[in-house]
Amino acid sequence: MSPTGTIPLAFESFREHLDEHYDRRERLIKASRDITAASKKIIFLIHRVLNEASGDDRALSLRAAEARRRLAEVRLIMENVAHELDGARFWRYAQNISGGLQEYIEAFSFFHYVECGGLVSYEQVQANLSDGAGQPLFPVPLSDYALGISDFTGELMRLAITSMSKPNGRTRATQISEFVRGCKADLETLTPHIHDLYKKQVVTTQSLRKIEEAAYAIAIRSSEYELSPWMLDHIVSQVSEDKES
Amino acid sequence: MDPRDLGLINELLEGEAQHKERIREHVVTFEKKTRVMTSILDKVHSTPKSDIPALLEALRPIFDSCHEVAAALAETIPRDEVWKWKDLWTTPLRAATFSVLLARFLTDGTLATLPSVAEQLGIREEWKGRFSLVPEDYLHGIISVINELSRLAVNAVTLGDFEAPLRISVFAKEVFTGFSMLNLKNDALRRRFDTLKYDIKKIEEVVYDVTLRKLVSLSESATDVESRS
Repeated sequence: MSPTGTIPLAFESFREHLDEHYDRRERLIKASRDITAASKKIIFLIHRVLNEASGDDRALSLRAAEARRRLAEVRLIMENVAHELDGARFWRYAQNISGGLQEYIEAFSFFHYVECGGLVSYEQVQANLSDGAGQPLFPVPLSDYALGISDFTGELMRLAITSMSKPNGRTRATQISEFVRGCKADLETLTPHIHDLYKKQVVTTQSLRKIEEAAYAIAIRSSEYELSPWMLDHIVSQVSEDKES
Repeated sequence: MDPRDLGLINELLEGEAQHKERIREHVVTFEKKTRVMTSILDKVHSTPKSDIPALLEALRPIFDSCHEVAAALAETIPRDEVWKWKDLWTTPLRAATFSVLLARFLTDGTLATLPSVAEQLGIREEWKGRFSLVPEDYLHGIISVINELSRLAVNAVTLGDFEAPLRISVFAKEVFTGFSMLNLKNDALRRRFDTLKYDIKKIEEVVYDVTLRKLVSLSESATDVESRS
């Protein structure tokens, strides 16, 4: 065997360095998963609220308060791991938390759309992810913003499709597809710079087609017959079920 | 999207793209230098022991010329963004690290420490967060050296240097012991570490061949090694 020289000694500090790195990465991946799971639940909650939407304003505002509270909870997870991401560390681990961050942006923008109407801006997202003094917890990567927004438009399309089969839902569906078309056009200008965005754009196009075809079915049927609103709803629900399957 | 907002995002992304181009220009310069280094070092496989110092002397100006490109890179990278751009220069930096480490081993049989490799390449401590030699790249460089030494063990014997495999063997085993102390996860470093045992096996075979034929006596080499360490 070799004499025990100075080489193994030097490796002790590398072991410490690597252990620290692997442990931190592990913690951040876990936080990212937690953020993703909680954000998904918020998205479902908003869907439920909108689908159930009755005339009862009080119930509606209670559910909105719940969504807001849960969003704050998710934000807190990020605030709690922000110290692991200070300074140069952020970019080292950005890819490990980007999954959770995108999902959060998706939920946040969905809530924003329902509450305030319109698209949440990049600055608003960064402002949300800042501390009390207005200092960013970490710099929100533009790519995560764009990808989160793209996923959010997917949620909107789902909402439009389910709305269509409901009485009075067609106006909402038309508004949503107008909005998503606008978002898609905006995101299109960003695709050369953001990896993965192109694929999501393809998916958005597909969902747009889905809803356009449903709108077409409505237009055709209504021109052919003097349909009662009830019949119209029935036909539309059949078309949208076909599209979803 | 608000047109102003979209404009802002586009501007930021455009800026990043241009920034990347600037970094890339420096990286290309750096890459060219590392090619020269590796092509000089490749000659060790066909250079008799007595001519090795001259070969290493030829490397020195190339190492020195890296200081300039290192400074240029450090200047281009914004504070705290080293990891955002690091992928761009990982390959040449590892190649340069490999060259410094191999040259040092050929000079005095030692493993150059991380700070001394950084110093040789002109990477300053105060650039941390912008441009630095991180332990991961240093460790990758070491593994490349052992990969190369298993080849050198063979070629040294061909050139009549029968002691070289013994020196290489001691060095490689120490490095292996060092790596065994790390708790590696299933990543690139781990996979490359796994290749070390094949190199060590190859080196041992060469040692076996030269000792079996009494081309070198083990006791001599042992004292030789001890006096070095």
